[in-house]
Amino acid sequence: MDVRVDDYTIGVLTNVALFSFVALSAYLLLLAGEMSFGQQAFFGVGAYAGGMLTAMFGWPLPAAMLAAMAAGAAAQFLVGLPTLRMRGLYFAMATLAAAEMARILFELLHFQRTVDGDTVGPDGTQGFRSIRWVFEAGIEPAEYLALIVTLLAFVIAGFGLVERSRLGATLRMIGEDPELAASLGIDVDRVKLGVAAAAGALAALGGVLYAHHNTYIEPRNFDIMLGVHSLVYALIGGLGTAAGPLLGVLLDIGALEGSRVFESYRMTVFGGLVAVLLIFRPRGLLDERVVHWLRSRFS
Amino acid sequence: MLVDLVQNTLDGLTFGAGYALLALGFTLIFGVLRRVNLSYGPSIMLGCYAATWVSLAFHSNLFFLLIVTVAATILAGAYVERLCFAPHRGGSAIAAMVASFALWMQFEELATVLLPRHLYSFPALYQGGPLTFGPLFLRLEALAMLATAAIVCPLMWWTLYRTRFGLAVRAVVSQPVAAELAGIGVARIFVLVFALASAIGGLAGYLIAASHEQVTPMLGMWSTLKGLLAMMLGGLGSLPGAVLGGLALGVLEAHSQWFFGPQMRDLIAYLLLFVLLAVNPRWMSAWTTTRSAS
Repeated sequence: MDVRVDDYTIGVLTNVALFSFVALSAYLLLLAGEMSFGQQAFFGVGAYAGGMLTAMFGWPLPAAMLAAMAAGAAAQFLVGLPTLRMRGLYFAMATLAAAEMARILFELLHFQRTVDGDTVGPDGTQGFRSIRWVFEAGIEPAEYLALIVTLLAFVIAGFGLVERSRLGATLRMIGEDPELAASLGIDVDRVKLGVAAAAGALAALGGVLYAHHNTYIEPRNFDIMLGVHSLVYALIGGLGTAAGPLLGVLLDIGALEGSRVFESYRMTVFGGLVAVLLIFRPRGLLDERVVHWLRSRFS
Repeated sequence: MLVDLVQNTLDGLTFGAGYALLALGFTLIFGVLRRVNLSYGPSIMLGCYAATWVSLAFHSNLFFLLIVTVAATILAGAYVERLCFAPHRGGSAIAAMVASFALWMQFEELATVLLPRHLYSFPALYQGGPLTFGPLFLRLEALAMLATAAIVCPLMWWTLYRTRFGLAVRAVVSQPVAAELAGIGVARIFVLVFALASAIGGLAGYLIAASHEQVTPMLGMWSTLKGLLAMMLGGLGSLPGAVLGGLALGVLEAHSQWFFGPQMRDLIAYLLLFVLLAVNPRWMSAWTTTRSAS
């Protein structure tokens, strides 16, 4: 395929795809009725774990991706154990506290070793430089974008399968009314822990890809702003389909930042847009009703 | 050593008085609307920015700056109420909270458009050195913070428990539908509560900015996080709890900063919140009359 796209567009599209992972992990928890302010932590766990494995220990990227996902899943499973029974604001605050603790731990993390004469590894607030596996493997930015988009497509396809399955129905029922779900014999705690682990793995996958795209990460990348943004993306895109969070990211990073039309008023425009949109569509653009209507039209 | 402990506790109480005021505003909004206003801190930040702008342009006196801060914070709060909370009354709590975050982004950008540098100095209340009591010392700003909290808290209690307005507010909190049927203008109460919370926030913001002697856009996130933390520590939705939570957070921070440094100070505060939530989220509503969050 010989399509010429300039570097700027590739950069914007890569960011859209990368942040879609963390938005999707927030979306997955929203489906199960939980609002997390802490998905940035698992994005960070993935970024640090994956970056350390490739840059410090010479792992290939695919292996590091799997390990990072496992780390993200384990981290959110552990956070989920004491928190998933909380509802609403309690859960949101507990995940926020956990994520801020993770960010401070990244700040306290000093673990470096010498690789080929260079000192690499996380250096607290100084960040973590030289995560160069993608560059050293000779992967072009467009190829890396293709890799990220392919992985994202697999994730979306996975969501599509789950949504059509019994599990998807179970998930939405727990989100709507956990007591009812429990009375029908559904093990709510177990499903939620599974959801938490999956959301952690998803965010971590985004994180490891992000670290290798930027080649440099620092604790500040994983602050509360990222977490709330992913929640916003999931909500404005719509809770009806996994394409919703993608639409949310695309609206913010793609249309507004990418077009450069609004320059220094981007946040004002996006913020106003979100607030007004939510008045008319409190469950986002692609909410359940729109998705149902679309399905009935096109299938 | 003992002197240090006492001095830290004193410092902690004065920081804590600021947190207590922030938590009071949060609690007022949460208690009445059952909604979290994430842009509470940013609207306070915007109020402080407006005052900074005025002080740079006109060199006005301190009292006028206080008025500007409070007025601008109330305006910002009213904007938030109209756009994020009035339309979602009885609707989705998540949508309201996310909308309030959207306005947070607007406020931050507005502040940087108004005053583009990252850091501006804010006029201090008092130019001289701290007051000294033997080996201990106390800054005048700290004293003002403590005094304000000591005046505002009883005043709030009096407003809520001894006035017709307070009665209406409490009626809306415990039985919104019945209150509406009894002829209380629920929408009006919400607006007034928002204005009251914003006024307290503006007052707190002014004192915090004056004691830091600077403002940055980070003040918004800082105020929201500290206010939320103090509110949660003190028991969600309880006014005396908010004050105690704020003071406890201040003292805890002062001591942990002294012993372990600033990163551990934040880590310890978040760890405490997480453990309290994990052990028993219900403890938080134990000493309040209102129901738990939904």
